[in-house]
Amino acid sequence: MRLPSTNLGILLFITVLLIAACGLIYELIAGTLASYLLGDSVLQFSTIIGCYLFAMGIGSALSRYIDRGLAYRFVWIELLLGVIGGCSSALLFLAFAYTQGFQLLMYSLVVVIGILVGLEIPLLMRLVRGRYHFRDVVAHVLTFDYLGALGASLLFPILLVPYLGLVRSAMLFGVINVVVALWSTFLFANQIAAVRALRSLCVVVLCGLAIGLVEAKRITAAAEDNIYADEIIFSRDTRYQHIVLTRFKDDIRLFLSSHLQFSSRDEYRYHEALIHPGLSAIPAPRHVLVLGGGDGLAVREILKYPQIESVTLVDLDPEMTKLFSTNPMLTALNQKSFLSPKVHIINADAFPWVDSSTDSFDFIVIDFPDPTNYSLGKLYTTAFYKAVARHLSTQGLMVVQSTSPMFARDSYWCIAETLKQAGLQTYPYHVYVPSFGEWGFVIAGHRDFQFPISLPAGLRFVSVTGLPAMFQFPPDMSPLPMPPNRLNDQVLVRAYDQDWKDISH
Amino acid sequence: MKASRRQFLQSGSAALIGLSIKADRAIAGSFVNDSFQLGHQLRDRTQFPAPKQVQKRSVVIVGGGIAGLSAAWRLHNKGFTDFVLLEMNDQPGGNSRWGENEITPYPWAAHYVPVPGPKAVYVRELFEELGVLKDDRWEERYLCFSPQERLFLYGRWQDGIEPAVGLTAADRDQFRRLEDHIHTFHASGKFTVPMEVGFSDSTAELDRVSFAEWLRAQGMNSRILNWYLNYCCRDDYGATTANTSAWAGIQYFASREPEEKGPLTWPEGNGWIVRRLMDRIGKFVQPNRMVHRISQTSKGVAIFSDDTEYRAEFVIFAAPTFLGPYLIEGMAPLHVFEYSPWLTANITLEHLPASYGTDPTWDSVVMDSPTLGYVDATHQSLRTHIDRTVWTFYWALAEGTPAQNRQLLLDKDWNYWKEAILRDLERVHADIRQCVSHIDIMRMGHAMARPRVGAIFSAERRSLAEPHGRIFFANSDLSGFSIFEEAQYRGVTAADFVASKLGGHRTSL
Repeated sequence: MRLPSTNLGILLFITVLLIAACGLIYELIAGTLASYLLGDSVLQFSTIIGCYLFAMGIGSALSRYIDRGLAYRFVWIELLLGVIGGCSSALLFLAFAYTQGFQLLMYSLVVVIGILVGLEIPLLMRLVRGRYHFRDVVAHVLTFDYLGALGASLLFPILLVPYLGLVRSAMLFGVINVVVALWSTFLFANQIAAVRALRSLCVVVLCGLAIGLVEAKRITAAAEDNIYADEIIFSRDTRYQHIVLTRFKDDIRLFLSSHLQFSSRDEYRYHEALIHPGLSAIPAPRHVLVLGGGDGLAVREILKYPQIESVTLVDLDPEMTKLFSTNPMLTALNQKSFLSPKVHIINADAFPWVDSSTDSFDFIVIDFPDPTNYSLGKLYTTAFYKAVARHLSTQGLMVVQSTSPMFARDSYWCIAETLKQAGLQTYPYHVYVPSFGEWGFVIAGHRDFQFPISLPAGLRFVSVTGLPAMFQFPPDMSPLPMPPNRLNDQVLVRAYDQDWKDISH
Repeated sequence: MKASRRQFLQSGSAALIGLSIKADRAIAGSFVNDSFQLGHQLRDRTQFPAPKQVQKRSVVIVGGGIAGLSAAWRLHNKGFTDFVLLEMNDQPGGNSRWGENEITPYPWAAHYVPVPGPKAVYVRELFEELGVLKDDRWEERYLCFSPQERLFLYGRWQDGIEPAVGLTAADRDQFRRLEDHIHTFHASGKFTVPMEVGFSDSTAELDRVSFAEWLRAQGMNSRILNWYLNYCCRDDYGATTANTSAWAGIQYFASREPEEKGPLTWPEGNGWIVRRLMDRIGKFVQPNRMVHRISQTSKGVAIFSDDTEYRAEFVIFAAPTFLGPYLIEGMAPLHVFEYSPWLTANITLEHLPASYGTDPTWDSVVMDSPTLGYVDATHQSLRTHIDRTVWTFYWALAEGTPAQNRQLLLDKDWNYWKEAILRDLERVHADIRQCVSHIDIMRMGHAMARPRVGAIFSAERRSLAEPHGRIFFANSDLSGFSIFEEAQYRGVTAADFVASKLGGHRTSL
């Protein structure tokens, strides 16, 4: 089969336009992913563009060593680009979730793709040089090359990222590369020896990538894209929970088993409110215990007190604490709090640990997921709070994250009552965290709590003058008479379930 | 041809789906704690060797179940030390025995105690000593955690074992009427735990009919109500309502006066209590000591066990009372006492079945199953994350005669019972075979006294509850049924009686 020569020119230049777009898309995806996952977008984009252009230069240089079978080799380059570029995004996500070698893989991919893209245009120009004047070839090829780049750079932020996501965008352009490979076997049919075999291979690869495009969702975790508003940049099932990180612009969100834990935009409100009212009220705190809080954000706030000698953090999931100790994007959020020599991480189930430990603490932070089931509900019982209270020093206080007094008013006051029935004095308070709404905490201890007269420098939300207002509850959140939550009668789990049902209906 | 073609297609498609087809696990296990060989030596009047040594004790306790251990606990608390407890098995505890694997301790039989009311004075005394009851409050971590019980019916799980979904107006009416009856019986003060406290001849007529007959006479014919009551009788007495006296059926409900949401339970069930008792009086307990003869003289009692003759002033016979005529010289055969055969299994699960259905629950029961369901040994764990666990599976062989069922227990091998258990579980957990790695099975020919019609008010039972010369019977079966509180009551009262007889010489002879 031979194409009519009138159409040949147009097809040729569309080919240039498409391969230019593909090349740029792979580069943009690598840059975006690196910015999402590693932070510091200026650094990531600069280094990636640099590497990529340099690799293209290598490719162009290498092109002179290819003398025979130009068309055959061009088709092979397109196939390779389709496969490597198409899968690049998925590979990078998987590497981020499951290996320590994300950056190595990323730069390797950028270099390989860059070399292949660098080979494309010189080969193509040599392929068509006999048919046109050299002057026209250069002008047309470069024009369409830059046009393709413009199209790609506009499409990427406006359509591709919002509607397809990074994994499927890469897959889509992989498909385009392979389509180019396939029609090149027709364009240059007379210059390729084993044309049928090559076409078959193209079709097989095309099918593979098309399936990948449709099934790509599974790579980011089975159809859960719909649950989350933003792009999932990390997803892993650990032995204990399902960890998901999403990112939209500067906002990183952590979800544990589909429940939002924080939004990087306003988590400082939550964590300042969790730590400072209680901790600043203790005369000379030295030893702090954190139960839960595997993201290290509460510990970040605790480390603002230089007199503190040790922070013991007990979190069930070693993968969670490891992630927040090693991942650059996340350690940027918690300011490497887990790497402080004062911090001791213990991966254990909280209740048995509290039961068996004999240590004493000046401040105890209880920051567990909400009581959505009876297993978590055990960590909100009189028995648990009694066991925790045994670890309080004479001047000690504890603080409990206690769900929302607005959306789960019954639950909030049930937790407060449970602390009271555990023999503690309670001081309930609440703050507004935009991504959560009104959120509540309870300070509890064997002694009176008095507002601190000073706070660490540099807080963005909690202030000495603002504190008293946090302990005032307007009528729509005011105390409700609730029974305590006990191991043998977990009223809290039922109340919590009912509270959220009432909201959603 | 058709079948083979379908098989071929199935195996072919299985190979295509590949990963999604999960193989059943290989299941290990065996019969454990078999003790009938020992018991049958007594039944068959095997010749035992003559004694080679003599030991003197003020008191010998025969049997190390809850009754015997409670007698020892009581004697010890009263300052007595010159006594010994002889236990046939290598592990004391009787129906409160327990086991343990790398995952959790688990019960072999009795796995809870209802929260005792004020009349259960001795149980409260024990629980105060063990820290279960403090300042009139029950320790939270020993009360069964939420969610406690669930029942599978009409293809779904409901909270609680008493059927609450799909009831007709007639069903509801009958449940309400039974509740009214129970309330009246309770208010009469004649149904109590322990049963001796309120026991009254004025309720004798209830012991002359079966619970099933009594229900029929009250016009209570609801299938759901009768299923539920039958379940309760099988659970507590190992017998159907037709084989349980109406008095006992009513006692089950009317004697309870819980002051807290219970019951009390522990991972190893009532084995937890056995362990605490053994901490206190373990040094008096001699396991693997089967008593084969007891003879009374005017001066005392001789107890023969293996090569030792114990000479004692008094014997507390806490072993099941049906063994009495085989051991005690001159004791007449018993006629009224009957015992229910049971089978329990401890099932190790590598993970919960995908079909589990709800939050992990302590006790799961399936309506219309011949078995009693299963109890999760890790439910009382304080951990929030539990993957591997052990289920204790209960099966009172209540249909048919006890003799037939005992024979069935002896005749059928481990594989037969394993399959029967798995098939029962497959009613609600189709994927159970992918989860189970181990099943140990315990067979008990005479697991618990059966309060059949006439047993409670029989002269035989009431006479055994009185001292027999220097022998005091103390097994829970003296109450007519086997529950922890009755066993403990009988053990403690026998010890009190012996202590009062021994009077002055508290220490040693």
